[in-house]
Amino acid sequence: MHDRSGWRRWLGIELVLTLLLCMELGIFSRTATNFWTAQNFFEVLRLSVEIGLLAVAMTPVILTGGIDLSVGSLLGLCAICFGKLWRDAGLPPLVAGIATIGLGVGLGSLNGVLVTRLRLPPLIVTLGSFSLFRGFAEAITKGVDNFTNFPASFLFLGQGYLFGVIPAQLPVFMLVALAVWLLVHRTVIGRGLRAMGYSPEGALYAGLPVSSRLMWVYGLAGGVSALSALVYVAHVGQAKADAGTGYELLAITAVVLGGTSIFGGKGSVHGTLLGLAVLVVMKNGLILSDQPGELVGIVTGVLLLTVLSGELLMKFLSRKSEVRRRERLLKTR
Amino acid sequence: MGLWLAAPDFFKARQLLSLATATSPVLVAAMGVSMVILCRQIDISIGSQFALCSVFVGLAAQRGGGPGELLALAMGVGGLMGAVNGALVAGVGLPSIVVTLATMVTWRESLRWWREGEFVRDLPETFQWFGAAQSSGQWMVIGAGVSVLGGMVWFTQFCSGGRFIYAVGSDPEAARLAGIRPRMVTFLVFVAAGAFTGLAASLNAVRFTDVDPKTGTGLEMQAIAAVVVGGVAVSGGRGRVLGVFAGVLLLACIGPGLVFLNLPPQWERAIQGGIILLAVASDGFSARTGHRNAISGGKHHA
Repeated sequence: MHDRSGWRRWLGIELVLTLLLCMELGIFSRTATNFWTAQNFFEVLRLSVEIGLLAVAMTPVILTGGIDLSVGSLLGLCAICFGKLWRDAGLPPLVAGIATIGLGVGLGSLNGVLVTRLRLPPLIVTLGSFSLFRGFAEAITKGVDNFTNFPASFLFLGQGYLFGVIPAQLPVFMLVALAVWLLVHRTVIGRGLRAMGYSPEGALYAGLPVSSRLMWVYGLAGGVSALSALVYVAHVGQAKADAGTGYELLAITAVVLGGTSIFGGKGSVHGTLLGLAVLVVMKNGLILSDQPGELVGIVTGVLLLTVLSGELLMKFLSRKSEVRRRERLLKTR
Repeated sequence: MGLWLAAPDFFKARQLLSLATATSPVLVAAMGVSMVILCRQIDISIGSQFALCSVFVGLAAQRGGGPGELLALAMGVGGLMGAVNGALVAGVGLPSIVVTLATMVTWRESLRWWREGEFVRDLPETFQWFGAAQSSGQWMVIGAGVSVLGGMVWFTQFCSGGRFIYAVGSDPEAARLAGIRPRMVTFLVFVAAGAFTGLAASLNAVRFTDVDPKTGTGLEMQAIAAVVVGGVAVSGGRGRVLGVFAGVLLLACIGPGLVFLNLPPQWERAIQGGIILLAVASDGFSARTGHRNAISGGKHHA
């Protein structure tokens, strides 16, 4: 494996993304109106919480070499179920919310069961549940039902401010991100997840409980998607069957942009957060600069390809210089 | 399939004819995707390619292009977009799911920026059904779909080029040692998938009198689902084109089948997802219990 010690350690994707972010901030502070204000800063954070939650939960999944295409659909289904539990079953929002998160964990674990027990590729399993969850959401609402008029105490989670400036959902997001960061980077379990991504066989022979760990990872993704659904509903103020359409792709984009290898084994949660920041700042800045919204998608796609190609190129160059260094060492001996 | 015996009306000839016409483009697109998946790659950008090709076909028809020119243009544009994917995957070495995720967003948003969601209208009379009557036009579309299917069966089973795809999909390194150029094969497979998508787009476009720029949204998921239900392994190198055909038919029958059984059509997506999971799960079960004798496991259970 490539040894990343000393200054080389920082010559990675994180540096590229930080520079990119600074560049964006520099450009948009000139072109965009009201970009460089505290209000806009918190507004950007508020808008990024739903995608951010999905992206943070997606990171461990991709670290194990898997993928979860179903998180956007699960968000939609959980939003509907929450609305159903609150309005039709008459539960208070807190109880309904906890039940919804339980449902999310359960449905996420369903993915996990199919991946681990039947040894099916995660891409296919979650492609199936992508249709299944969205389909259930459409079937439950018959395509038209829409849940609104949530109590103000619940809407506070998505629209309120703490101390007058901090969006209420921000602490929730930071707590989840911190928890996942600790899990991935500071625990034995997190190290095991990388091992599984590098080599599932090797991890198994090293004595890791691969199946149960995978179950937990997919269950976690499901639970966080449900939490994201609650934040979404509180933010938008309504729950419809098409909630979160396409969010899975945005979340995967943030994770991959953040330097997590799609084949697993390599990546970080702070990388994901940086990737997310690059994406949402770009979106916000382009819109405030009066650019068409379509440009956001185009730039996202091009950015994703450029950053990844750049990373490959950098790896190639550093390997070359490493070879040259060793050759020089051999000659001097 | 026995389910639909309960609704005899479903098998009325005209109903089947229009269903087959609507399914032909999906079949052609699924053929392209099945090649990509056989090669151990994936392409989720075909929905966007489809939309872009449709708009190009519509614009060319407005300027008076004949059917042959339209087909050539659509396949050329599709092939070009496929070449972009292929170059990035085979040339640069990026993972195909990331590359096609990026191109999917890029093409779709470029199209929206360019056309601003506007339909291509005022197409000449000769555009719909290639200028033929509706019934013969329908048969033309179905005929094109079936001949593509036949060509693909022949190509994947009996041509060295087709076997190269299987070889690269099972083990690129072994294929390289056997004298195949895996990168070239991968590149060409993406180009072919793009060209097939272009063909599918033009077959789809001639069914209507105008071109919707949002057409093809979700086509990639439909096509991949059909390929997987048809028993092609996403790990590459395993599966059959005829299985994909069965997968396309099965998934296409759900929507109309629900209508004929008087069930709410909102269940279509859920049933589709259920069938995908069931098909791959039964595949997984048969693999575990060791009763895997045929290449395609999924379709027998459907």
